[in-house]
Amino acid sequence: MPVVQTLMRLLALCLLLANGGPSDYACASEPKRAAPAAQVFLETHTAMGTIFSIYLYASTEREAHTVAQSAFDEVDRVDELLSNYRPSSELSRINREAALGPIVTDRETFAFVATSIGWSARTNGAFDITVGRLMKAWGFFRANGHVPSAAELAEAGRQVGWQKVILNSQERSVRFAADNVELDPGGIGKGYVVDRMVEMLRVEHVTSALISAGSSTIYAIGAPPGRRGWKVQIPDPEDHQRPISTVILRDTSLSTSACTEKYFVLDGHRYCHIMNPHTLKPVEDMVQTTAIHPSATASDALSASLFVLGPEASVRLLKGMPEASALLLAGHGRVEHCTSVRWSDPEGGDVCRRTATKRNRKVEP
Amino acid sequence: MNRRDFLGGASASVLASGMLPLLAQDREKNVSPDDTFSVGVIGPGSRGQELIRQLLRIRGVRIAAVCDIYEPRFAEVDQLAGSPVPRYKDYRHMLERKDLDAIVVATPLYLHAEHVNAALNSGRAVYGEKSMGFTPEDSLSILRTVSETGKIFQVGHQYRYAPWFQDAVQRVRDLQIGKVTQIVAYWNRNADWRRPVPEPKDERLINWRLYREYSGGLLTELGSHHIDVANWVLGEQPIDVIGAGSIAVYHDGREVDDNVQVIFGYSEGRRMTFTSMTSNSLMGEQLWIYGTSGSLQLTLEDATFYYEPRPIHAVNPHSEMMQHGVTTGASFRAQGEMPYRGPGTRIATASGDDPTLVACRSFVDCVRGKKQPLADVQIGYTAAIAAAYANRSIQSGRKEIIPPVPAAG
Repeated sequence: MPVVQTLMRLLALCLLLANGGPSDYACASEPKRAAPAAQVFLETHTAMGTIFSIYLYASTEREAHTVAQSAFDEVDRVDELLSNYRPSSELSRINREAALGPIVTDRETFAFVATSIGWSARTNGAFDITVGRLMKAWGFFRANGHVPSAAELAEAGRQVGWQKVILNSQERSVRFAADNVELDPGGIGKGYVVDRMVEMLRVEHVTSALISAGSSTIYAIGAPPGRRGWKVQIPDPEDHQRPISTVILRDTSLSTSACTEKYFVLDGHRYCHIMNPHTLKPVEDMVQTTAIHPSATASDALSASLFVLGPEASVRLLKGMPEASALLLAGHGRVEHCTSVRWSDPEGGDVCRRTATKRNRKVEP
Repeated sequence: MNRRDFLGGASASVLASGMLPLLAQDREKNVSPDDTFSVGVIGPGSRGQELIRQLLRIRGVRIAAVCDIYEPRFAEVDQLAGSPVPRYKDYRHMLERKDLDAIVVATPLYLHAEHVNAALNSGRAVYGEKSMGFTPEDSLSILRTVSETGKIFQVGHQYRYAPWFQDAVQRVRDLQIGKVTQIVAYWNRNADWRRPVPEPKDERLINWRLYREYSGGLLTELGSHHIDVANWVLGEQPIDVIGAGSIAVYHDGREVDDNVQVIFGYSEGRRMTFTSMTSNSLMGEQLWIYGTSGSLQLTLEDATFYYEPRPIHAVNPHSEMMQHGVTTGASFRAQGEMPYRGPGTRIATASGDDPTLVACRSFVDCVRGKKQPLADVQIGYTAAIAAAYANRSIQSGRKEIIPPVPAAG
């Protein structure tokens, strides 16, 4: 029962770099050199089990390399802080000790945990950073996928639940109200890292760059010279030849959650790595969710939350988040329902109607 | 007491006091919520900020003052601490404060002695970053100030606090890999070691590591950690050193070498080789400790033992022995000289805490409990002068004799 973990789809969210679109789209490999001195450079860095990439406009390769390196140093620093694969990370220390009593931590780690718990409260637990033991029960830690027994699930149920994380902001401490609770940053960590990279690049006065964390979270700083923004394609989970939508990003982020990268198959059934903390089982009825939000931390957590919540609850959640937009593709293995909220596609028209027409399927209101 | 006894004895004796319980609940049970520990930081650059981050993970610690001549650092510290931290541009004014329990010194290397000595003389315990001193004279002055003031000084050789290093080194000292004769240490990267500079005028301020006036380059900034581990394993400081270095890739105005190779001599013919390059990262950061019956690999995350095949096997004298095959006279036998490619034996340790956190925690505990730290001034001294003499050798092109640790007092 091997976990099928495909190679990171470096350009799963196809950044339109090779094939130019309409003239007001960004296209890095055919830059319209409004600023003659600027060229685009690509730098990559492997960390957190994925490939981080930065498309960066700079005057020289050395300048690009130097600033990209400072952003990648930041990735490594945050990895040291939040990795649940590194015993020496601060998050691992909290996981080891917080069941025994309050663990005082640094401001950044405390804020990260508090933000994660805030997302749990906001989504009524659809997003839950305490899914660590559940991920292990299903074998999604170090790629050993299997269906847990009822006893294993019951055990995991006692160890999962965001209300079990007790925060004390006065002394910046984290305590677990149950044994063996384990924080797993998987649904929010890459977004957080991307935000830190953006912060670092802005300090270095970068005004045009596209940052990608394995393509699951992307942030666009400014726009390429002479363009409105960076053009990013959202892949169609059923048709790898054509995207389902294309958006232009400028000073905002986009995150996608899907089961196309991390899952295992048993008796012909595909088990997704995204867990529903309420049922303690993988989500079964969602194919792909994409969220756009000015904060990469938020878009990452939001896309994961929408994946668990499903279309109706997602629409209710998004009503209270005017700064966010989203595209949800629901169904059992294939796209059966499409829902969009404030989704702006430069190709015009309603993305879900176009998607349904393409598939000759029913259009959801 | 000779050098070897001194170092070995020092390590052994402070091990007893420097070790803390593994769990925070056990460590902190006697720490009252009102027991604040106020720290002043001189030099909150990248390393200084990492120390601040780790210190803030210790119950009761607050960053009470910070000193730097580079203005942007203050806002960075405020963000780390979560509130405005009183700031100073002159460390002497900061040291006039009466409410500081300890001082952290994380300034550029050439300033270590000035700042550490001033902080010790102000009556405070000091956590000083490595390398302890820039020149041998700098290191000697710190050694003397600690002796004269009696104040606690801990050097930033945090590998001494890594549980897997402690466990592995103890096994080596217990002769699990036989007699150690060679240590080979690598610290390789594929990066130019530069930091972005907002204004050209700040080049030397930001990239001080690249200029000989302020820095000992790869040997002091990276190699001093490995030299310290070698001193720890071999139980003494090196006797002599010969080294080489050059700028092979980064012809960008820097003065320090972008690659160095150094051989330290210890007693009984034992040697430690340190190599560092910044244009290839294959070997990364690791130490190999070679003994007559096995090897130990030490990395930032783990310790793995490998054992030599046993060349001699006892044979039952009553069994019938038969020689198969034909000896051709060839002296080459590939099987015995091919690199070993199998797994090793990785040791398990009870805690995976970040060594810098353990070091900071131990420092605070030592100051609170008036105990001597594990990584004390002698440990800092022996690594620092070895690095300094290695740089002298690179520059002179000759073998340099490293003077012994001065007698106490």
